[in-house]
Amino acid sequence: LAKKEEPAAGDAGRAVTTTDADRAMARYAGGDAKAFEIVYDVVAPRLAGYLRKRVREATRIEDLIQQTFMQMHSARGSFIPGAAVLPWAYAIARHLSIDSGRKARREIPYDLSDDGDAGSPQGRPLVSSAPSGEDMVQARETGKHLAAAMATLSAEQRAALDLRTQDLSGAKIAFVLGTTSVGVRLRIHRALMTLRRALTERRAPSASIAPANENPK
Amino acid sequence: MSLPPDLKARVLASVGSVPAPTRAETMRARAWLFGCGIVGALIVFFLEGGLRITARPPSLVALTSLGSAIIVGIGIWLLVTRGGSMLGRPRAVLVSAAVLAAAGFVAWKYAISSFYGLTASWPERPGFRCLGLSVAFGALPLAGALLSWRRAAPLTPLATGAAFGAGAGLGSVVLVDLWCPVAYLPHLLLGHVLPIGLLAGLGAILGSRLLRIRRG
Repeated sequence: LAKKEEPAAGDAGRAVTTTDADRAMARYAGGDAKAFEIVYDVVAPRLAGYLRKRVREATRIEDLIQQTFMQMHSARGSFIPGAAVLPWAYAIARHLSIDSGRKARREIPYDLSDDGDAGSPQGRPLVSSAPSGEDMVQARETGKHLAAAMATLSAEQRAALDLRTQDLSGAKIAFVLGTTSVGVRLRIHRALMTLRRALTERRAPSASIAPANENPK
Repeated sequence: MSLPPDLKARVLASVGSVPAPTRAETMRARAWLFGCGIVGALIVFFLEGGLRITARPPSLVALTSLGSAIIVGIGIWLLVTRGGSMLGRPRAVLVSAAVLAAAGFVAWKYAISSFYGLTASWPERPGFRCLGLSVAFGALPLAGALLSWRRAAPLTPLATGAAFGAGAGLGSVVLVDLWCPVAYLPHLLLGHVLPIGLLAGLGAILGSRLLRIRRG
């Protein structure tokens, strides 16, 4: 699979990509301390977007990001030059969040209620930034329906869907979730079917009422 | 959620305060520790008598050892390398590599020995001595691998330890095969194959404790 280039804003203003991060991590493993800043610039916003869907408290998210980078730093001697750093970081963050969740017992299943999306992995909002009033109402309604439908998914299906939106391949998602590629495809397929069914069912009552009102006989 | 501006400074400061070996330092330490483990296993092998031809034709010894080394070598390569990914190989691949390499070794040894007519039942050699030797040969390289990977596997310390254990067990198969003339199937299973499972279990237990990175 071709690696998707995902730009993120670096401190110097130049857009840095996941490939830059892979190279930077290899340099950091070789002893170039400055290179870790590039790794941070690319990985940290994506980790924040990923963790925001798993953890409620902002301070806990910050702590998990810090712990993830510490583990990457501790294991830098084992980094394989040419390997992708982002799936590794996601997998470490997921392990840490599960561990942390066991301790805190306060994980939430899913949260789409936040109005901003600055921490999303792509750094772009889910809806257009300049919509019309009607679009906004419609998008809000769809968002509510989607959130309600997401809440009906199992934790495994939600996790698979979350990681798929982070542009990870099936094999990498399978590794992160401790399952097989076939299992991941099945979870995503079932999740999408459930979402589609839930959204269709929500639209169906209004569609069936409208003709009845037009023709009472 | 946008990240707080001071988080980067905090992460870089905490990373800077904890020393971590570079890749070159890690590779040197691994080569040294793992090399010591292999040398230790060879010393034990020669102290136990080294190569024992006994009644076996030299061509049989050469054939079984060469075939075993190739089969086991592929298994070890799959078990101890990560295939270019920081996520390592999937567990199904690791388990398949260990099982298929062990089964391949037994099939090869039994088939070649059958060709020479040397698979007769040998009840006074059930395989306990080979079991002990295999564990002894494999334990030292396993210890070297685990120590060289200490606190360096944030994701799958248990699976990594088990893979190292199975790899060490497969390596010991080649040494024990040079020493042991018995090709009686129950002996092969008890004395040559069971140690692979025992060392994999030992590697899993020790790996889950030694390889995990502790939270700061």
